[in-house]
Amino acid sequence: MRQLLDIWIGTQTWIFETVVSPILFHLGLMEWYEPAFNAVEIVMLGVVQIVVIAVGMRFFERRWPLERVPNDDLVAVDRVYTFLNKLGIIPLAVFVVTYPISNEIEHMVRAWGYAPPRLERIFPWLHDSALASFLVYFVLYDFAAYWLHRAQHRFGWWWSLHSLHHSQRQVTVWSDDRNHILDDLLMTLALVIFAQFVGVQPDDYIMILMVGRLIESWSHANVDMSFGRIGERLLVGPRFHRLHHALAGPAERHIHDHNFAPVFPIWDILFGTAMFDRKNRPTGVDDPDIDSDNERGWLGQQIAGVGRLLRSLTPRLRRARAL
Amino acid sequence: MKKLAIAVLALALVASGAARADTVLVLNSEEASYSILSRSGRSELGRQPVGREPHHLVVTPDGKEVLIGSTATNELLVLDAKTGERRRVMRDIIDPYHLSFSPNGKWFVTAAYRLDHVDIYRGDDFKLAGRIFIDGMPSHIAFDADSKTVFVTLQQTGRVVAFDLATQAIKWNTKVGEAPAGIVMLPDNKRLLVALTGADGLVVVDPKDGSTIGALQTGKGAHNFFPKGDGRHYFLGNRMEGTISLIDTQDMKVVGTIKVPGGPDCMDITADGKELWVTQRFLRRLAIVDIDQMKVVGSVPVGKSPHGVLMLKPGGAGSPLTPVRATSPAAEQK
Repeated sequence: MRQLLDIWIGTQTWIFETVVSPILFHLGLMEWYEPAFNAVEIVMLGVVQIVVIAVGMRFFERRWPLERVPNDDLVAVDRVYTFLNKLGIIPLAVFVVTYPISNEIEHMVRAWGYAPPRLERIFPWLHDSALASFLVYFVLYDFAAYWLHRAQHRFGWWWSLHSLHHSQRQVTVWSDDRNHILDDLLMTLALVIFAQFVGVQPDDYIMILMVGRLIESWSHANVDMSFGRIGERLLVGPRFHRLHHALAGPAERHIHDHNFAPVFPIWDILFGTAMFDRKNRPTGVDDPDIDSDNERGWLGQQIAGVGRLLRSLTPRLRRARAL
Repeated sequence: MKKLAIAVLALALVASGAARADTVLVLNSEEASYSILSRSGRSELGRQPVGREPHHLVVTPDGKEVLIGSTATNELLVLDAKTGERRRVMRDIIDPYHLSFSPNGKWFVTAAYRLDHVDIYRGDDFKLAGRIFIDGMPSHIAFDADSKTVFVTLQQTGRVVAFDLATQAIKWNTKVGEAPAGIVMLPDNKRLLVALTGADGLVVVDPKDGSTIGALQTGKGAHNFFPKGDGRHYFLGNRMEGTISLIDTQDMKVVGTIKVPGGPDCMDITADGKELWVTQRFLRRLAIVDIDQMKVVGSVPVGKSPHGVLMLKPGGAGSPLTPVRATSPAAEQK
């Protein structure tokens, strides 16, 4: 095990010292030396994720597809999103914007005398098991993500951004990263602040993202599979999450207001948003304006998302001005 | 078989007084833990939990206790310096990144790297005497010999600032170069050495007014010092270059270079002065350097991003019995 770890660390160090560190040095950014080293690991983990998706998950999609994908162009743009995300390009942009904000909030809170404790102070037994500690923080993180996901659907202005994720008619293992960059930014900011407040260790945070995003990629898979009657209540699978992407119809106007949980369905069960059935429904949105995302590439979708956001905010601004 | 041998050795060490003299502490900064190592066995005996993001540790002036600063949880874990046993946790020490006592023990100073302030506490009861907010990532700390002034490097703004300890007033604040980190006062009390992580060496700064009076090229990413113990030679880790330079501060020249890969950072020397133990931040290891041979002769795996390192010595870490501490208490140079 240590040998595998040494290979991994050796590769990370080589990439960092050969490529990243000289750039930091020449740009006069050496105070970011340590965070940049960790960023290399995130990109490496992203490559592993891409391989798992492209080789492992795609095998199941090819072998047992739920629906035919006649037009691969619809899926191609999702692959662009996946690569931009997993290879760290969008996360870097998001970090540059969110870091000063989250840092300022941390400064303020700690200046008030609050230091985020680790749960281990309350539950010392967590110290004894890295796995138990990871799982507890993972569950907490997922709880926050569940409520943020509900907010994405609840508020019109946020839905104007998040709807891009739902506009895909062909949901596949590549769909998870299909998000508006402003949506990514808001989610990241909220989750980072939450993680700071509950005391998630940087290393745990990276692993939560790694494992969580892999599970979420799988939950978008174009396969008719679940983890079984009990399993699908413990872990979000494709059948459970596909219902959340279902196209609303006259009989099911609010079908996508179910199954919000990213990883653990327990939140949907507890808060009354769970729906378990075996019915196969088409996916996408019933709003032609949002559906037109399917005719656009990455940049076009991002621009269209900003347009929708502005339109969603404008009536409120008008009302505010009238008061 | 090897594991069994290590376990037997660990048990034997713990059962004997030799354990204290043989123990090495290493802070795993991204794992909220510290490793306990056997110096003679060159192996990790175990890991203990500590507050989040521990970076540096220091020995109290009486040599009886070790303080480990956990930056993200605003606390100091206090250990017995002879046995390594946990004694208590001191709360509300805000963001204690680098921490150090003045030579006379009257002052305890912390640099809050993330939160941009320098805190000056009374060394006897840890009452806060003053908090000075200053932009630029306060990084490392050094004192003058008469304990009147503390010098702090500001890594982001490339400056060094000097504070009067009694009044907490700024004496001077000058630009010294790119990303200054490690700082050490030489025994003559007339020269400060400042390592420039954003450059390829150190600058010599006049402690009276902060003017730069010299420079020396050592290697890219010069970061942190440690005294060899003879009052004349200092080790300086060059993180980007992956080397440690041995500097003769009398002639102000590099007299030796040791290849230590993986972002070498903090150091400590064995009580017999024969080995230099160096944390390799990126490799999650400690390199063991034979000082006579000037090369790495061993390596010990530890936790993620190991930073501060300290050897417990006979009579307590950093005690007057320790032969290699000619210029400063054990961990003050970290």
